[in-house]
Amino acid sequence: MAEANVAAPFEVFRFDPAHESAPRYQRYHLDLPPHTPLLTALLQIRAEQDPTLTMRYSCRSAICGSCAMVVNSKSRLACQTPIGPELERHGRIVVEPMRNMPVLRDLVVEMTPFWSRYKKVEPHLITDPTQPMPEGRENPMTPAQVERFKETPRCIACAACYSACPAVEADAQFPGPMALAKLYRFVVDPRDTAHQERLLRIQTDGLWLCLRCHLCTEACPKDVEPSLRIRDLKEMAVRAQGATDNGSRHAIAFKDNIRERGILNEMKLVRQTYSPGQLLAQVPQGLKIVRKKPEVLKSPHRIEGHDEVEKLYEILDDATEDPP
Amino acid sequence: MKVAYYPGCVAQESGKELDMATRWVARRVGIELVDFPNFSCCGSGFVDEANSVLNVALNARNLAIAERSNLDLLTVCSTCTGMLKLANVRLAEPAVRSRVDGALGQIGVTYRGTTKVKHLLEVLTDEIGTAALAKLVRRPLTGLKVGAFYGCHLLRPSKEIRGESAEEPHGFEDLIAALGATPVLYRGRVMCCGFPILFVKEPTANRIAATQIEDAHAHGADAMATPCPLCHISLDSYQNKAEKVVGHDLHMPVFHLPQLVGLALGATAEELGLPRHLVATDSALQKIGSVAVPA
Amino acid sequence: MQRHDVLVVGAGLAGQRAALAAVEAGLDVGVVSKLHPLRSHSGAAQGGINAAVGKEDSVDTHIYDTVKGSDYLGDQDAIEFFCREAGPTVVEMEHFGTIFSRAEDGSLARRPFGGQGFPRTIYAADRTGLALLQALYEHLGTAGFTLYEEWDLTSVVVRDGRTQGIVAFDRRHGDFAAIGAKAVVIATGPAGRVYGRTTNAHSCTGDGIAAAYRAGAALKDMEFVQFHPTALLGSSILITEGARGEGGILKNAKGERFMSRYAPHVLDLASRDVVSRAIWTEVKEGRGFPGPYVHLELMHLGRERIESRLQEICDFCRTFAGVDPVTQPIPVMPAQHYMMGGISTTVRGETTVPGLFAAGEAACVSIHGANRLGGNSLLETLVFGKQAGLAAAAYCAKAPEATVGDTELETETERLRAMGERKDGESPETLRTEMQAAMDGLVGIYRDPRELDQALAAVRRLHGRYDRVRVVDQSKVYNINLTDAVETGHMLDLAEVIVAGAIARTESRGAHTRVDFPKRDDMNWMRHTMAHRGPDGPRLSYAPVGYTRWEPKERVY
Repeated sequence: MAEANVAAPFEVFRFDPAHESAPRYQRYHLDLPPHTPLLTALLQIRAEQDPTLTMRYSCRSAICGSCAMVVNSKSRLACQTPIGPELERHGRIVVEPMRNMPVLRDLVVEMTPFWSRYKKVEPHLITDPTQPMPEGRENPMTPAQVERFKETPRCIACAACYSACPAVEADAQFPGPMALAKLYRFVVDPRDTAHQERLLRIQTDGLWLCLRCHLCTEACPKDVEPSLRIRDLKEMAVRAQGATDNGSRHAIAFKDNIRERGILNEMKLVRQTYSPGQLLAQVPQGLKIVRKKPEVLKSPHRIEGHDEVEKLYEILDDATEDPP
Repeated sequence: MKVAYYPGCVAQESGKELDMATRWVARRVGIELVDFPNFSCCGSGFVDEANSVLNVALNARNLAIAERSNLDLLTVCSTCTGMLKLANVRLAEPAVRSRVDGALGQIGVTYRGTTKVKHLLEVLTDEIGTAALAKLVRRPLTGLKVGAFYGCHLLRPSKEIRGESAEEPHGFEDLIAALGATPVLYRGRVMCCGFPILFVKEPTANRIAATQIEDAHAHGADAMATPCPLCHISLDSYQNKAEKVVGHDLHMPVFHLPQLVGLALGATAEELGLPRHLVATDSALQKIGSVAVPA
Repeated sequence: MQRHDVLVVGAGLAGQRAALAAVEAGLDVGVVSKLHPLRSHSGAAQGGINAAVGKEDSVDTHIYDTVKGSDYLGDQDAIEFFCREAGPTVVEMEHFGTIFSRAEDGSLARRPFGGQGFPRTIYAADRTGLALLQALYEHLGTAGFTLYEEWDLTSVVVRDGRTQGIVAFDRRHGDFAAIGAKAVVIATGPAGRVYGRTTNAHSCTGDGIAAAYRAGAALKDMEFVQFHPTALLGSSILITEGARGEGGILKNAKGERFMSRYAPHVLDLASRDVVSRAIWTEVKEGRGFPGPYVHLELMHLGRERIESRLQEICDFCRTFAGVDPVTQPIPVMPAQHYMMGGISTTVRGETTVPGLFAAGEAACVSIHGANRLGGNSLLETLVFGKQAGLAAAAYCAKAPEATVGDTELETETERLRAMGERKDGESPETLRTEMQAAMDGLVGIYRDPRELDQALAAVRRLHGRYDRVRVVDQSKVYNINLTDAVETGHMLDLAEVIVAGAIARTESRGAHTRVDFPKRDDMNWMRHTMAHRGPDGPRLSYAPVGYTRWEPKERVY
């Protein structure tokens, strides 16, 4: 247990919008064992040096989700971030509030945008009144059915994923990783009877704006893997409903496009994805690209062994089966 | 070293300059590229969303092609790398493996899982090594500040990809430094370029690209460099659209990884296909002096 | 001024269940919480929730296990009601959407838990509290009520012999406000943070218990504090019993497996209080590591077993203590874990003040008596949360209008503003730390009368100093310096009640162990300690234990 202390310089974002015109970074210094969680260090700063620093925290054991913040540019739970590796990599610890939500004060953000996106996916069981639940006992559910939830029940709503997400940053229509992971949880719940409606709604409510960049999965402190569940939602939507949105249309078009030659036919993909009106709007850009890269106009040759690819499509795509 | 060369679709088509630069660099650093005309598209993430098991099977076939020749697979696209590596991971699940094996069996293909998938970046930094590479430099890129842009699928999901750190990698920056240029660190370097939603909601994709370009610029980059031709499309071919979204010019040249390496090793702009870019690379070339190879 | 029929303070499992019951009864409900409901400490509960439902089990066995576990201080009539409600309560939560672990045949999975004769603990992996909290929150989301999120309770207002509402401050805007309510339900959880070594969250500062106490409600059995034997040194994060269940061994600084001396048959798997006392004795007699602490060793189990069956513990140790249990021993010490005591209530959640109700860990019915069984506390929140909500609703139907007067609001506001206006004074942090040191050192597992007296004197001195507590942060927005000060005041009140009760109870029973009175004394002490706030501190009185069928016996496992 005897670990030597290390020098720990902190730069902490401070901002009280009611009294200050701009944020600033305040420096603090502590000497601490390297395994010390950042939250412990921040609380020590509050206790010994500056009780005006404000933040959210409660359980200190990564279950309540209160203390998510940005640590050396990464969205993290403060209670689960030991200072040692951060100091080794960066020489200091820069602490900032979560992104994509307005700052209330210092490290406290206004989380309403996050909560409202969560509520929007109707995160509660939707049941059919003509099919009541068994009276006096639990709905049966096999371990295999529980397994289908994957890790989504571990979510503690900390918003680290939301803070890390570039799609949330760029587009207010995107529900964000947590809301989509929650939607997945209800879509695979055998007690819920609204699977189809949920999938249909989410296709037009921004499912396909997910970039599959996996930054949410990296940020998540509970291994929920939201980006992988979003991928599952996309596939479920395509299988159940086909092309109802630009996103599903593009994914299906791409899949069908490859089948023909084995490699991508770029020009054809553009034609398959866009409606005639959209195509027309793309002409100026298309011309710019074609001028520099004329290959775009040519169809590629078929790959050798294309019949093998075609056969795989017959076996695995033409038959309508549920994914494994 | 000898590798099965997997160029990916874009490098064979609109991103031909990537293939040109790759071949030029491979000759210089001693990588023998073996072409396979039967490789198919990796799916680019889109096929995975439409039919995951089909995507795994298609990539299992690709991996089996390399396996038959006892060669590792070299990619030059972050997205291809991610898709092929993920196929290996999914094939470790018994249910997926049995389904895919069943389908491959019907086309006479056996997947064994012995082929490694390596991106050119990893080969240059890990196998050839930045020190050896530095020795080959004929035109140090001194004075050029380069912001690396990794491309999501090279790094994440980290549990599966098991490559460099998913949020704080440094391999590309080490390479840039070995070439004599100055690597620029900025938050956007590990973020998304927006490409996957270019056909879904273009303005949002453009906005995302703009964010990363502006971030690189704000940190002093003269140019960006990327190991992914899809990122290149978003950042270069659609940079004009990104400019519309933010309301001002961006002027950020974007190099493919092997183009940057090629420049330092003495290639000409033509040999590397630089004139094909939509955003002129002249400003960056001027920073490193004449493009002619020194005697 | 805002007004509701029923105002629930606390939005964990008990508070939310009470709110649901009141909303379903057609009332206008407000819920006040210092945290977003999903952040409540209910979410930290890991083990499971008890319900005797299987064919081989019986409600009577559950009742008996609970009565015996309480060391015969639990009210047997209440326990009978509680255990009968268990099955329907769990089923209701499953219908609300809780994702439980399942057996192969699709039924709810069960596992054995300490002190019970049959595996009846229903669970959701190792995060049962979180699973229940999510499901209840999501189900409640479809109901209509007003949530006061991140509001800190400062007082309950009682006038004309009945509850009128509360005063609280809105942390986000810094405004003080009175909220009128005919019925107030306190479900604010425990006050574990009176101790420094506690598994409780930082938010567990007993605000509702203190407010009820100050408003004249009786508190019950506050001296009964449960300690968990294995909490990580430093953070006191809980290392669950499962570690010992899988074969983990406790060792002292001499490398001895010391449990062989205290429980020669069951060794490290003895019940919580036995193991806690053992560790404490080792440390007191000089055989602990400097800290102090002892070792929990898992290394001999091998990497494979540890990483697959004890994954969570592994993560905890690596993340929070910088220790890898595969290669290193884990430093542990007993820590405060649960409060059997709380606001005294009937089985319907009624306190001794008309219009004031309580449920969950903030309340004491009493189900757990002198010692709580694992799996019974999650159940308690839901059973009595519902009862309190129903009782509050029924009370409202007959209660006159309730108002909090301007002067009542003014007085409260002035008291708190003064803290921010002092130019010098005591830091809430200092007072809190000193209180915690006194409680940790003097009011722990083994209680010595001289040490208890010292503790009482220390707490009283701190009380005096609290009159000059100073809030440095002048901002109105999210001023948790003010929250700290308010919480510290609450905790000092409760610390005093705990110590006074411990001094008065001259016997050992359940979790209360007196070194000078090591035996249980049913003749004189089979009774509940009741505490009322007096001008000079808590006034203690005693109340009989409810008895139905089970004669007190010696508690042997």
